[in-house]
Amino acid sequence: MKNIFNTLLLLFLVSFFALPALACVGKTLQIGTTGSVQQNIMAHMIAELISERTGTSVKLVEFANSAEAHAALVKADIDLYVEYTGIGQGLILQGQPMADASELYKQVKDRYNQDLNLIWLQPLGFDAASSLKVNMPAEPAPVVRKDTLKKFPALARLINKLGGKIDQQAIAQLEQQAMTAEVAKVAHNFLKSQRLI
Amino acid sequence: MLNSYMHRRSFSLNLLCGLLLLLTSCVTPSPQVRQVGDLVISDLQIWSGDIRISGVVQVTSEGRLILQPGTRLFFVRMDRDEDGIGDAELLVEGEFEAQGTADQPILLTSAAAHPQPADWKFLYFDYARKVKINYLISEYAYSGVQIHFCRAQIRHSEFRYNIDGVRFSTANIQMTDTSLHHNRHGIRFEERGGQGRIHHNRIYQNEIGVFAVVRCADKTLFEYNDFEQNIPYQIKMGLKQQRSLNFPRNWWGDAAGLAQETVFDQFYDPVLGQVFAPEPLTLPFGLISTPKESSP
Repeated sequence: MKNIFNTLLLLFLVSFFALPALACVGKTLQIGTTGSVQQNIMAHMIAELISERTGTSVKLVEFANSAEAHAALVKADIDLYVEYTGIGQGLILQGQPMADASELYKQVKDRYNQDLNLIWLQPLGFDAASSLKVNMPAEPAPVVRKDTLKKFPALARLINKLGGKIDQQAIAQLEQQAMTAEVAKVAHNFLKSQRLI
Repeated sequence: MLNSYMHRRSFSLNLLCGLLLLLTSCVTPSPQVRQVGDLVISDLQIWSGDIRISGVVQVTSEGRLILQPGTRLFFVRMDRDEDGIGDAELLVEGEFEAQGTADQPILLTSAAAHPQPADWKFLYFDYARKVKINYLISEYAYSGVQIHFCRAQIRHSEFRYNIDGVRFSTANIQMTDTSLHHNRHGIRFEERGGQGRIHHNRIYQNEIGVFAVVRCADKTLFEYNDFEQNIPYQIKMGLKQQRSLNFPRNWWGDAAGLAQETVFDQFYDPVLGQVFAPEPLTLPFGLISTPKESSP
């Protein structure tokens, strides 16, 4: 009994001291982007938020399209990227179009979780269906590997601070700003204006 | 005419050579540079002169490394895991002494012709048995120094052009008479039960002066330091730093004390603790009498 207690105590102490909340020494989080201005803005915004609030290093990785980014996410080559509900449902899950945005988000989120071990965080707040030319409402939201969330328990709460923060008008302004300024700077300034960093 | 031309040409060449010599002697290894790749040190080694490191140098718990005055370590930019951070590093689990002097400081730097922060990884102490650093300059690393699970004494040193100047967690730190500037974070720490005293240092022109990431509980005393022009924040709390922190008796670049807008705390995020800066100095510590011994 005493040995069991000692073993449990040792395990507790090791885990208590050895697992930083979100500041793993040497660990770099990899965020995917499909390279459009809109995707780059969102990727930089998440990267800046993580880096500024936790000090964790973040690297952006560019892909040609959603299919490539999704494949990299499944293979654990990246930790997260921003996907659109319409793309997730149509291209990735090969599902039927749905008109109801909240129902679409719920269904995509559930199937990603059950079938792919991937977690959809809160939608960022705008609809990109027209710009993506897809025939169902397309809300962007960060999609994260489940094991990444286990390694960094505070990550979901942090990224969800962006939930609903970027409406249609805001993304249009950000894209406009990105025409003449560095995307990273645009993302940084937006986070500052929202008092998030 | 020809003599005059030759004389001018010779003078110009000499001037050019002299300038080149001056420039190269400042930033590049001398011709006698020693080359080191991945290396494990389990005995006593005393290093001096110029050493070019292209790998991980590990001083094991049985090992001891002494850097003599004027030693210069040049870390080669290499990124084996492609994470954007250089992988060359000096990892110490045994004993380490940097015996620099005012005239002959020790230099840890990038070997790159155009160095950048994070060209190399860090000087890293993990459960080290002894850490004594005097007159050491550490630059262009991811972290100028990282200290974990051990005691460390840092004096008369300089940490510049790094992502983190000085970073520590669960460690007992004594740091004095040291400059931290032009880093992303001057000091970044997670206290986690550690304690120490950081005093009579100059922490300036970093993006963040002090980044208290998590589990900090006022056991590390910051006093009699000069904090100036750390923009945007002199002090910043990490995502989960919910306990308030005190930074007493420091100079904040203004006789009025620490300006609220230069602190990222509860003012920005209600779940965070609050930063207090009682008894601010009205002048930089060098201009007034301040005790070197710990305040009661």
